Amino acid sequence: MSETGATRTTADTGRVVSGSLGRWLTIAGGVLFWGWLLARWLNNWFLPAGVGVPPGESFLDPAAVAPISDSLAFAVEYLPQLADAAWLTVVLTVVSIVLGFVFAVPVSVARVYGTYSSTVSLAFTELIRGTPLLAQLFVLYYALNLSTLFRGLPDDGFLPSAVVYVAIIGFTINSVAYQAEYIRSALLSVDREQLTAARAIGLSQRQGIRHVVLPQALRFAIPGWSNELVYLIKYSSLAAFITVPELFNVARSIAADNFAYTGIFALVAVLYLGLVISASKLMAGVERRVAIPGLGGTASQ
Amino acid sequence: MSDYDPLLTVESVSKRYGDERVLNDVSFTMDRGDVTVMMGPSGSGKSTLLRCVNRLTEVDSGEIRLGDHRVTDPGIDVDALRRDVGMVFQDINLFTHLTALKNVTLGLREVRGFSTDDAREAATEQLERVGLGDQLDSYPGELSGGQKQRVGIARALAMEPELLLFDEPTSALDPELVGEVTAVMADLAAGGMTMLVVTHEKGFAREAATDALFLDAGSIAERGPPAQLFENPENERTAEFLDRVSTVSGEP
Repeated sequence: MSETGATRTTADTGRVVSGSLGRWLTIAGGVLFWGWLLARWLNNWFLPAGVGVPPGESFLDPAAVAPISDSLAFAVEYLPQLADAAWLTVVLTVVSIVLGFVFAVPVSVARVYGTYSSTVSLAFTELIRGTPLLAQLFVLYYALNLSTLFRGLPDDGFLPSAVVYVAIIGFTINSVAYQAEYIRSALLSVDREQLTAARAIGLSQRQGIRHVVLPQALRFAIPGWSNELVYLIKYSSLAAFITVPELFNVARSIAADNFAYTGIFALVAVLYLGLVISASKLMAGVERRVAIPGLGGTASQ
Repeated sequence: MSDYDPLLTVESVSKRYGDERVLNDVSFTMDRGDVTVMMGPSGSGKSTLLRCVNRLTEVDSGEIRLGDHRVTDPGIDVDALRRDVGMVFQDINLFTHLTALKNVTLGLREVRGFSTDDAREAATEQLERVGLGDQLDSYPGELSGGQKQRVGIARALAMEPELLLFDEPTSALDPELVGEVTAVMADLAAGGMTMLVVTHEKGFAREAATDALFLDAGSIAERGPPAQLFENPENERTAEFLDRVSTVSGEP
């Protein structure tokens, strides 16, 4: 009897150890990745002149690590430029997803509860989802020449240049359409009687949607919505085609200079992977944080 | 002004869904403090009638008045009407994402304009009244069916309605949880609350109701004091139905 007890304990401990090992590795990887990115950005744009290294130059000397491994030396040499470019990738993604969300909520509510506004919302969603994102960016940049609107704005250092605003507008419009669809399906999965109960205590339709339906729907929407965030990180590379110097664009021009396509794009892939894993970890955390016993997952009634 | 001034007047109300007549020329009145139970087979129009009283459903013809509210007048402010009519649902329909306390404070704050503190105090009082003073911060998913329905009652009570509607409040509950809900309802009745209750709980009806209505195929087949209706039903359909309900609930 004591023997089986002992065996079980060992097995449990083993699982706990391997589980927490994985967790610690993830945390260590995250700290390393973001620590390095933040250090690069800080170094480029916020340290007084003379402190740190010049922008684009690595903290380590590539020649010093060359004896260890050529690939490592290659990475050390080019990663700084990629880190700077990753800043724009992050800005494009975060600003577009947040702005997109702000507009997607009314668009989806209009679609589900509106009459005329439902048709408008449907038309918008179908138009945007039915045409390529790249074509939308070209319309904004080449046809409408929107970047002239933003010419006067300061664009030093970490501040984006005019064309980045155009890309943000394009990604936001696109993201509104997709996010609205995720939220619409979440709105439809809220029990209709929830709104009836809200109306029965005298709340207006608008109050009922705001205080009862949306808080539930937005929780239901998180898993699908996380998907949109992950897509947007990678779709932001299309900004390269309207000259935004984001991650993919910078990688492409470095590779065009040194012909080390495989090496550069392997590094870029690792950076995108780091961003995507961070995003999905973040969203999983949000999902846990706003979880409510009995809502979603298990039966609610 | 006449001597007789009922709180609720239902006059010749009819309603059809497509070809089906759900309510057929229904008329009755309720005074303040009346507790009327409505019984009848499934599909006899009980729930539809309740929902007409707070305009969750529109009547086809006829008139409903509640105090100063001309309920069936298309131009009225339905939100104002619903402030004065509470409703307790068969499916309970607590706001799933809110704690018991917040289920009750939502209406107080948004509809009655209470401050956060006042709403909290008033809601706590209502939840204590239904015996849930120790579950203020529980979510609906953490409560039993009976507890949930008591929160549902507290939510309706907090609006201080003139009339409380109950739509089969115990029929979704496990049998052993029915008693805690009917006990709360009997308390309210004893406290003078005006209640229109769709239920098949004859025990509750006998103990707390002033009046019983038997609805059959959209018409009032019989009306009278509960004891009389149960002991000596005049209508054949009433007798038949009550007999079947007794067999199910085991009550003699």
